[in-house]
Amino acid sequence: MLIRLEEVSVALGGKSVLEQLNAELSEKRIAIVGPNGSGKSTLARLLNGLVLPDRGRVLVDELDTRKSARDVRRRVGFVFQNPDNQIVFPIVAEDMAFGLKNVGIPKAEIPGRVAEALHQFGISDLADRPSHALSGGEKQLVALASVMVMQPEIVVFDEPTTLLDLRNRNRIRDAIAAMPQSAIVVTHDLDLVGDFARVLVIDGGRIAADDAPDAALRWYREHFA
Amino acid sequence: MLSLYLPGDTLLHRQPAGRKLALLIAAGIGLFLVKSPIILAAAAVAAAALLLSVRPPPAQIRRQLFGPFLVLAAIFIAAALLDGLRPACIVLLRLAALILLASAVTLSTRTSEMLEACEKALHPLERIGLLNAARVSLAVSLVLRFVPEIFRHYHEIREAQAARGLHGNPVALVVPLLVRTLRAADDIAAAIDARCYPPTPPASGRPQHIGKTPSA
Amino acid sequence: MSSTRDIVLVALFAAIIVALGLVPPLALGFVPVPITLQTLGVMLAGAILGPVRGALACLLVVLLVVIGLPVLAGGRGGLGVVAGPTGGFLLGWVPGAFVTGWLVTRLTRAKAGTARHVAALFAACVIGGILVVYAVGIPWLAAAAGFGLQRAALGTLTFVPGDLIKAVIAAIVARSVQRAYPMDLR
Repeated sequence: MLIRLEEVSVALGGKSVLEQLNAELSEKRIAIVGPNGSGKSTLARLLNGLVLPDRGRVLVDELDTRKSARDVRRRVGFVFQNPDNQIVFPIVAEDMAFGLKNVGIPKAEIPGRVAEALHQFGISDLADRPSHALSGGEKQLVALASVMVMQPEIVVFDEPTTLLDLRNRNRIRDAIAAMPQSAIVVTHDLDLVGDFARVLVIDGGRIAADDAPDAALRWYREHFA
Repeated sequence: MLSLYLPGDTLLHRQPAGRKLALLIAAGIGLFLVKSPIILAAAAVAAAALLLSVRPPPAQIRRQLFGPFLVLAAIFIAAALLDGLRPACIVLLRLAALILLASAVTLSTRTSEMLEACEKALHPLERIGLLNAARVSLAVSLVLRFVPEIFRHYHEIREAQAARGLHGNPVALVVPLLVRTLRAADDIAAAIDARCYPPTPPASGRPQHIGKTPSA
Repeated sequence: MSSTRDIVLVALFAAIIVALGLVPPLALGFVPVPITLQTLGVMLAGAILGPVRGALACLLVVLLVVIGLPVLAGGRGGLGVVAGPTGGFLLGWVPGAFVTGWLVTRLTRAKAGTARHVAALFAACVIGGILVVYAVGIPWLAAAAGFGLQRAALGTLTFVPGDLIKAVIAAIVARSVQRAYPMDLR
């Protein structure tokens, strides 16, 4: 799977957020780091068409996010920072089924796939729980499972561990490490990305560094620590 | 949120929701056309019997009917004092029959069935594009999902305000609650869109697309 | 994708109206009776979301009542509420929120001074949240109870002072919320 950004610029509220970004993303584990306000969240949202570029284009396996947002989102899952805002149905199993219904998976197949996805993350016992009664870590795992159940090719994470305590952060870290799909992770948590294939540092709407983790994080620490 | 539906297998339970609604509407019209206190009394007794046939727990029935019957009592007293006993009885029996019948329908019908019945009844609106069953269904789920969450936020805010000595100030309680809830709307909408909402209409003729398995 | 956002806003506000019904009445120092917050939520729906979305939020609550969920203050709900003599005061929420919202779009400019803005919001809440709701509720009550309109109106007089206080609170809240999270009114 290849995601290409070609001369992408995004302005929000009159301010330039990303400037003439060019990148080809194909590695299995990519991290995007940068200071607050650097534009990394916006960059993440370009990858599944939640944000469209004002100039330039984003191609996901040659699909233009401007023209084929739905098809892009079938391939690119997205996990948000606040799991409270991702779980949309009152019961966990219903929420898991939501995405599958949207893409037309036959009703008969849905319970099986939901059970499989819950099992993959070790949360089968949460299937019939009310969403509001889950802990923060459980919510984030359910949110991840409800994305994975749709079998995307790649999952984008927007600061998945920022709101979690240490134990739950480790659970998410392990879940990401074990995923067979590709992952692009926007994060402040530099410990998460040590064994990633590639790290991009975003600053002021541009790619300031783009390298293997050791080199990129060293650059990052030198410039922003 | 627990619904008012009482699981059971009585005669009333087995009727389809649409039929119950239609009969309720017919009964309502009938009750307002009838003027004889005797017939209305019989109707009220029949309605009470129907409600009891659903086997409601006494505590729940008391809670549900207390308010409406208080209003009925006030209406009865006003009518009796101003119009006389006979007109007051007519009104009381009529309204009591209606409320008891309506409660019987609610207690014997699953919320999902009622929702379906409502959507079917409003199908003509869907045809002209004014309504969308998928959206309504999503909206209902969203409400049920977030009511407990918002309720909990309210308590957190109230404790925080109490710690600052702002007891019972509705503005200080409601403003943060609203702002916090509304701010979440953008992310919630993005999360919904990210999971390929809105659903493709089934009649589009496209083959069912099974999700691709991840490449090794 | 503004349409998804609209659905979410409508649903979240309906959830707010329901949650405000779960909250016990607030005792304000200077008022003898504690005030319930749910109808406050109805006024705010129109004032904050605008006429269409505000009315849809109230309509969604009515739908929840109809399908048998205990979403009204005191855990009440079901067809008995709608079919009863006070059903009009519930159904009236929908046009009430619409008129409140419509008046807010017409009468207010966010840049106006605080006092003028709050006064306009108050007027919108009174006309939409009280007059319109009662305009539906009172005839409904009159028809159900076999009363004349005057008698039915007299019966509901006791609720007006409480509702006026809620309109004041709603106006202040709506202004604060608009400033903290500006939204276009639709």
